[in-house]
Amino acid sequence: MEQSGTSTRLQAAVQGLASGVVSALRGGDHPHVVPAGDGAEAGDLALAAVRVLGADALLPGLVRPTPPDPAEVAVFRKAVEAYPPRPDAAPTVRWSHWGMTRALRRLDPSFLPGPSAEPDTGWLEGAGWQYLTHQLAVLAPLAVPGEECAVSALAARRPVDVARGFVRAVRRRDWRQAAGAGRWLTLLPGVPDTVGLEAGLDFVELMGGQDPLVVLQVQAARAARTGAPV
Amino acid sequence: MTAPDGVTDVRRTAETALAWVDAHRAGFTLGEDALAVDGEADRSWKPLGELAQVCVTVSRHTERSDPLHARARALLDFAWRETEEGDLFLRLHRLEPFATYPLEVYATLASAGYRHRAFEEAAAVVARTRGWRLTEQDPTRRLGVLRAEERCGIRRPSPAPEPPLTWLGGLPEPWTFERDAGYALTHVVFHLTDWGDDAAGLPPGLAAYLADWLPPWIDTCLEARKWDLSAELLAVAAVVARPAGDLPPFDAWQVLRAAQRPAGELPLEDRDPPPEEPGAPALPADDEWYFLHHYHSTLMAAFAAVLTCERPAAPPAGTGARHRHGGRGAPR
Repeated sequence: MEQSGTSTRLQAAVQGLASGVVSALRGGDHPHVVPAGDGAEAGDLALAAVRVLGADALLPGLVRPTPPDPAEVAVFRKAVEAYPPRPDAAPTVRWSHWGMTRALRRLDPSFLPGPSAEPDTGWLEGAGWQYLTHQLAVLAPLAVPGEECAVSALAARRPVDVARGFVRAVRRRDWRQAAGAGRWLTLLPGVPDTVGLEAGLDFVELMGGQDPLVVLQVQAARAARTGAPV
Repeated sequence: MTAPDGVTDVRRTAETALAWVDAHRAGFTLGEDALAVDGEADRSWKPLGELAQVCVTVSRHTERSDPLHARARALLDFAWRETEEGDLFLRLHRLEPFATYPLEVYATLASAGYRHRAFEEAAAVVARTRGWRLTEQDPTRRLGVLRAEERCGIRRPSPAPEPPLTWLGGLPEPWTFERDAGYALTHVVFHLTDWGDDAAGLPPGLAAYLADWLPPWIDTCLEARKWDLSAELLAVAAVVARPAGDLPPFDAWQVLRAAQRPAGELPLEDRDPPPEEPGAPALPADDEWYFLHHYHSTLMAAFAAVLTCERPAAPPAGTGARHRHGGRGAPR
């Protein structure tokens, strides 16, 4: 029960954090997308929520011209340092953490992590399009315009497969996966025009928009398409 | 060249499916209400027409010495006998001269050489009217009627009618695919390609569109256990892939095969897994409901399987949509 309660609180914290990011992406007046913790547990929860959201917790600072609040960056940095991937961590966990360090280096020049080499992409080589899309959607925070990495290079070689995954996710009403895949599609060359991405993102937001994590991905995708706040 | 194992399995799907159909030909008999004014064509002429079409395709795509060919021809003879060698079409025409379904079913049999001159003459008289030509139909059905007219030698006055605008022809966003759109698009492909016989009948733009989006449609229909639509989409996939020489989606075929019952029939859809243990309670396989719930999927499985086996056993190197995109089209 206790674990379940913690899990529920963490989910709520992640949703709240995502809402803050969405608001900031829209140019709203939420200066602190990272919630300030009140007490040790709340602080831990906030850090965990940042870790779950990954680099997207700092996305407004990366895609908007105004610099982020240093306090936000400090909390983000604490999360990066508090949750290093274990040696046996899944590839998505390693890549998510790597994406956070990449974002942090951009916004906090004093952050000098140890090894900064990219994790490998072997687990996605030869993957079926369904699994590929699922994993890319989990790693949607890596889909940032102008930020290349081995995962984005691999995705760029599979535009039709990611588009198929987007279609599958919409058909399955898996709005989070659809939104994450849609965000990747905005960056990939060679996506068939017939996919109708703009209307697709609108549809995903319409159907799944009560989930801040879906809206965050849709907003990030729109920001990537227009290169401007949305 | 020896066919890969996947092709052998697909071929077995056609054999077992058509064996079930043959064993249940009583379900396709027209019955006394075939000519009733308020008769239910969906329970009489529709199953018979589908049987005829699938058997036409099977017979075209198999060698004369092939037992599958012999079975398909025997079933065609049966279907023709059910129409009293075409007399029933004429009688139906006198009852409902402006109904299109008699011509559609007849045209299928006519394409296999079963002709009834008096019916064709009667149909041609009606087809000359503006009223016939202006019959309101949904676009996919209209395409089917135009093809049926062609098969029966009926020529509309020039200029030739424009192909009706269909869901597929408009290249819609593929994530808007739903069940009804699926049935419509498969039949557009069947009509354009003469039921898979002429892959070149599919315009290149449509073929490329289908090559891109069939994989997620098939994947999600299989996952939803919509077996009949899955089979229809696999038939379309076979037609689309044939010119490029792409391999069939064997993974998808495995899923469909797993849904086939031991006697060869395939349900329309199901929410429960098939009984796995030999001692499981017997299903009421002779029940009319059971027949109506299985005949269409089973025919479509045979149809798709024969079209799939028709394709080259190995793709030419470096060609085809799969290679063009560097993707993997086979659903899980």
